[in-house]
Amino acid sequence: MPFAIPNYNVAIPEMFVLGMACLVLIVDLFLTERSRTVTYLLSQATMVGAAVLTLTTYSQEVVLAFSGTFVRDAMGDVLKAFIYLSAFIVFLYAKPYLQARKLFKGEFYVLGLFGVLGMMVLVSAHSLLTVYLGLELLALSLYAMVALQRDSIFASESAMKYFILGALASGMLLYGMSMLYGATGSLDLGEISREVATTKMELVMVFGLVFIVVGLAFKLGAVPFHMWMPDVYQGAPTAVTLYIASAPKIAAFAMVIRLLNDGLYGLHMHWQDMLVILAILSMAVGNIFAIAQFNLKRMLAYSTIAHMGYLLLGILTGSGDGYAAAMFYTLSYALMSLGGFGMIILLSRAGFEADRLDDFKGLNERSPWYAFMMLILMFSMAGVPPFLGFWAKVSVLRELIHVDMTWLAIVAVVFSIIGAFYYLRIVKLMYFDKAEDNSEIKQDLDLHVALSANSLGILVLGIMPGPLMALCASAIGVM
Amino acid sequence: MNLMSIIITVFAGSLLTAWVSRFGRLQAAWVAGLITLAALAQLLPMVPSVFAGNTHIEHWAWFPSVGLDLSFRLDGLAMLFALLILGIGLLIVLYARYYLSARDCMGRFYSYLLMFMGAMLGIALSENVIQLLIFWELTSLTSFLLISYWQDREEARQGARMALAITGAGGLALLGGLIMLGQIAGSYELSVILNSGDQIRAHPLYVPMLVLVLLGAFTKSAQFPFHFWLPNAMAAPTPVSAYLHSATMVKAGVFLLARLFPALSGTPEWSYLVGGAGLMTLLVGAVFALFKHDLKGLLAYSTISHLGLITLLFAIGTPLAAVAGVFHIINHAIFKASLFMAAGIIDHEAGSRDMRKLNGLWKYMPHTAMLAMVASAAMAGVPLLNGFLSKEMFFAEAASAGSHLKLGWLLPAAVTIAGIFAVAYSVRFIHDVFYNGEPIDLPKTPHEPPRWMKLPVELLVALCLLVGILPQATVQPLLEIASAGVLQTTPPDFDLAIWHGVNIALIMSVVALVGGGLVYAMRLPLFRLHDEHLAPRLQAKAVFDHIMSALFRFASALTRALDTGSLQRMLVLFFAGALVLGVGGFLMGGGPLSGNRAMLPLDPLSLMAALILIFGTLAVVMSHRQRFTALILIGVVGLVVSLIFVKFSGPDLALTQLSVEVVTIVLLLLALYFLPQSHSAESPRWRRARDLVVALLAGTGAALLSWAVLSRPFTSISDYFLANSVPGGGGSNVVNVILVDFRGFDTLGEITVLALAALGIFAMLERIYLPGPDADAQGRPWNWDKHPAVMASFARLLLPLALMVSVFIFLRGHNLPGGGFIAGLVTAVALIMQYLANGEEWTQDRLPANTHPMLAMGLLIATLTGLGSWLFGYPFLTSSFGHFHLPFIGEFELATAMAFDLGVYLVVVGSVLLILIYLGLMHGASHRPASGKEDYR
Repeated sequence: MPFAIPNYNVAIPEMFVLGMACLVLIVDLFLTERSRTVTYLLSQATMVGAAVLTLTTYSQEVVLAFSGTFVRDAMGDVLKAFIYLSAFIVFLYAKPYLQARKLFKGEFYVLGLFGVLGMMVLVSAHSLLTVYLGLELLALSLYAMVALQRDSIFASESAMKYFILGALASGMLLYGMSMLYGATGSLDLGEISREVATTKMELVMVFGLVFIVVGLAFKLGAVPFHMWMPDVYQGAPTAVTLYIASAPKIAAFAMVIRLLNDGLYGLHMHWQDMLVILAILSMAVGNIFAIAQFNLKRMLAYSTIAHMGYLLLGILTGSGDGYAAAMFYTLSYALMSLGGFGMIILLSRAGFEADRLDDFKGLNERSPWYAFMMLILMFSMAGVPPFLGFWAKVSVLRELIHVDMTWLAIVAVVFSIIGAFYYLRIVKLMYFDKAEDNSEIKQDLDLHVALSANSLGILVLGIMPGPLMALCASAIGVM
Repeated sequence: MNLMSIIITVFAGSLLTAWVSRFGRLQAAWVAGLITLAALAQLLPMVPSVFAGNTHIEHWAWFPSVGLDLSFRLDGLAMLFALLILGIGLLIVLYARYYLSARDCMGRFYSYLLMFMGAMLGIALSENVIQLLIFWELTSLTSFLLISYWQDREEARQGARMALAITGAGGLALLGGLIMLGQIAGSYELSVILNSGDQIRAHPLYVPMLVLVLLGAFTKSAQFPFHFWLPNAMAAPTPVSAYLHSATMVKAGVFLLARLFPALSGTPEWSYLVGGAGLMTLLVGAVFALFKHDLKGLLAYSTISHLGLITLLFAIGTPLAAVAGVFHIINHAIFKASLFMAAGIIDHEAGSRDMRKLNGLWKYMPHTAMLAMVASAAMAGVPLLNGFLSKEMFFAEAASAGSHLKLGWLLPAAVTIAGIFAVAYSVRFIHDVFYNGEPIDLPKTPHEPPRWMKLPVELLVALCLLVGILPQATVQPLLEIASAGVLQTTPPDFDLAIWHGVNIALIMSVVALVGGGLVYAMRLPLFRLHDEHLAPRLQAKAVFDHIMSALFRFASALTRALDTGSLQRMLVLFFAGALVLGVGGFLMGGGPLSGNRAMLPLDPLSLMAALILIFGTLAVVMSHRQRFTALILIGVVGLVVSLIFVKFSGPDLALTQLSVEVVTIVLLLLALYFLPQSHSAESPRWRRARDLVVALLAGTGAALLSWAVLSRPFTSISDYFLANSVPGGGGSNVVNVILVDFRGFDTLGEITVLALAALGIFAMLERIYLPGPDADAQGRPWNWDKHPAVMASFARLLLPLALMVSVFIFLRGHNLPGGGFIAGLVTAVALIMQYLANGEEWTQDRLPANTHPMLAMGLLIATLTGLGSWLFGYPFLTSSFGHFHLPFIGEFELATAMAFDLGVYLVVVGSVLLILIYLGLMHGASHRPASGKEDYR
């Protein structure tokens, strides 16, 4: 059966990352323990190269390719650029951590690169098939990464839980997609969108929507499909947690927009109600459960759940401005999350994970600079100005009020007040408690520089949030 | 000169100060002072214009693309605050230079102080309310840094943390309120908001917005019931306390009330919320102040009380009350700053702040004592001092406001009681510290402080006197213009004379002064009463701690209940969540459950198959603890499924299902070898009951969904393939044509994955040796070497037959049910049977265990077939076919797809063998072959 040669140019970054991932996979076989840095450098070069390829061809134009299964647009490009950035930072932060634990292996980087590829496909998906393809490529990489530390029973257990729940969620998503296909007769998101808009409301469509929302909620970690997050965040090696907590959330945002807006906007009335429930539950559970945590990674997992609730607030408005606000929130969250887990890595060393809250006690005595960096991160997560997280909350709340959902904005404010307490507890521990160990913080120079830049970036972006906001708005296309 | 440069000067100065401090301790102080002067110098040229009644508004494009502007506003109110912040700030800088001891880091202190000052200026000068909020939170943050400056003190930690928690949380509430306010008014600019008061008050969102804004203002200004953080923040160095409690921080809250006064005030909600909080704060602060033995604690509670007073004035809502509020803001800032500084001097020179020890300091530091006494008298509201004037106005306003209400006399009465206590604690401040006998074992011998340390206090006390004696000449113009700023109109006429004749306010003042004296005289029994009965019960801090620990307990309990890490529980929650959403979707979705597709007739065969399927599935669930039985039952289910395929005319699928079923069962049997034959129930009965309910619900849901989908018409894509199979792919077996031709690319990918999976399993199993069981459940030894002769012979006989069948199935596959995949499975099963029946040794001798070459060959053939089409200029995997004639066999068709199918066949055989053989060999350790052949791997 003959078919047309597709327009490969559109997917050049994806192909580059695929090629490089395969290259790294092979090159790594010939490396020794000591020359493993080559793998690291190649991975970083991949991220830089992909960024160059994506950004040099950036345009506002929307191009469909591969029989309409793949789309390249401004939102996708911006999100991809941030995915590269996140992955770059993850690889950088993770290196000393992995080295100290004998985990500095090619697998981490290869899986990481394939995960990035999965995210890119997900971001550019324009068909239910491509969505699923990207999602699974990402998810399978993540399952394996969580289990990377094979001698840790916690890591194995959490990988198992993650896999079982993830497989269920994928199943739900597929179920929903198949129903959608049954109701509309197409896998193409554009087709589906037209079909949904013109045909009479169909029960099957709503059922399909329900299962798709379940799948999305799982990916984001929205309550009640959040159960995997605390266990996986805590159980996985911090380097992997760092990865899971940053870039995949950006991809998940794209997935939500692609499916719910690009495909199912006609059902906005219905998915809005569902997202309202998910958002309120997420903010409540995330913020309240975080208070009772003693493990910082677990606490940040709950904090992530809460953040996902706020993110959903922006999406459920169903307006371009709301999406832009949610996108801004996502990118801000990714940066803050990187910083937060980066701090854990900074304080950790061989045989010491530094992931308990108590490990941050008296950080101000040990290193006033990093205590201040952590203070920036915590305040930003709490949504206190002049840090980035504040603007994220402001823009989401503003859009909510804009579509007359003030009651929901008040609920969000109430939960963010509750949330402030556990972030401030960290600040209190750092500044006012006596350090339990006074050992000097010894890490590589690049980690010091990058982590400082990360935190200061949150401060600088908090003082000048305009460019990032404008970028999000123009990427969504509301300018 | 512009407003932004003032703020920038201060913030930049903060960095400069931190940098300069490396050159010496005192440089930091000098620089901080000069920076403050520079800011003041920029502000002063604008003052005359403001006095002329102008309002300066500046817009600085910040990020116009997203509608973010920096905008600043200078009107009477903003100017008053800016002057207070900078003026008192300058005095604090001077004072702190002498106050801080040699071991305190000056650079850090002054840097934080300037940062805080910049943030305060930002609040005062903001035109945009969101921008105001940013500076608002910045003050929380920087004041936290200031309060925690002496980190090594336990109380400092507690205090700073509580201050941060309360004010930070209040700021978030304020954020919500201000966003709503902006939405209601249509703009975040104050000039718009202040002019749309009627619109705002009439809006349905007015009450929630007001509550949120007030939460912000009350937490910041330490209004009841949030007042407790302020005394606990007393651990800060005294210059900080003096600054925070006089002109800044806590004044930010009342500033906000004043700023939004035209927009929000004048409704019953405003009066009751603001007035209630203000009155409570006034009383609570005044009463508790008397009982504090700590000098700064007394002053802190008095600050709370005075803030309540100002709040109450704004709550009354008349223009004259607002004027009085502004006046008291000025007066309180002046006398409270001087009092804190005096307290700091005493602490500094005497080494203690405990009023039970500090006695009779008059003899040691008469000059300081004099200053403190005047300031304290101003606080009490003694005539000829500034505090008297504003308190008089307050009493008058309270009395007139009360006269409009039912039970209105309560208001002036309560206010007078507060006045009595205010006088009492002021008297205590004077009498206990400077008289009342001799000091009791102080760590130092008190003496006068350095000259320059007293200068700020002297200046402020002079101001108290000046304003108190000559109000019209000094403060009147400033008050007028500031009040105009608050009200946004011309302020009402007011008279700042000292003597208004005998009126109700004067009577209240006199009552307060006399009563205060009396209360102080009875202080000792009151102290006892307080210490024994009230103090233990009326600890707001304890309430805060209690709420915090309750919240923590609540969160812990929830976590214990729901976050157990149990996968079972996660799954239950997962399915329950999906069910709830599904039911919700059904209820919302409307529309009937069934579609309009005609039902097919029910035939007995299908019914029977369905029944067997149902009972088979149930039997699997019931018997799942007997693993072997369950496995056989699963096989039954699989067989019935393949029969259903036969019934619905899918012989090809049926064949595939059948062979896959066999291979899967064999695979599971091999794995079963390592598991116990049965296991007991792990879950308690209730949990199984719960799981049953969830499973039944989920199953019902899935059934209904299937019903909904299947009862609706759909267009099948099978027509396309049926029509194109022969002309396009040259075969009449549509399934096979799809596999090897239409979806050839997919199949190539799939067999690659299959080969990879086999290699992966090989890699994992290669060096694993698990001990197998030595005996079965009855204790009979495991028979692992003897292979029954009958079975062995039959299996050997069966092999050529099975191979023949597989070749047959393979060859006919393109047109009739069959194909490479099924043929591969048949071959693999036939070979595995040899392993099972004849044992591995026998088979290994005749058949290589290494199937890697077969895998590679299969993949190579399939790929080459695809590449072959390139030679003829077609895209990858384009197939062609033709009809050929061979003698004996006759006419037959040959398609390139067949070569591709061969690749599929080889990969399937290789993979299945590889997986099954290595699973079977896993127990090599416990059943080592006798002949010592171990290196066959």
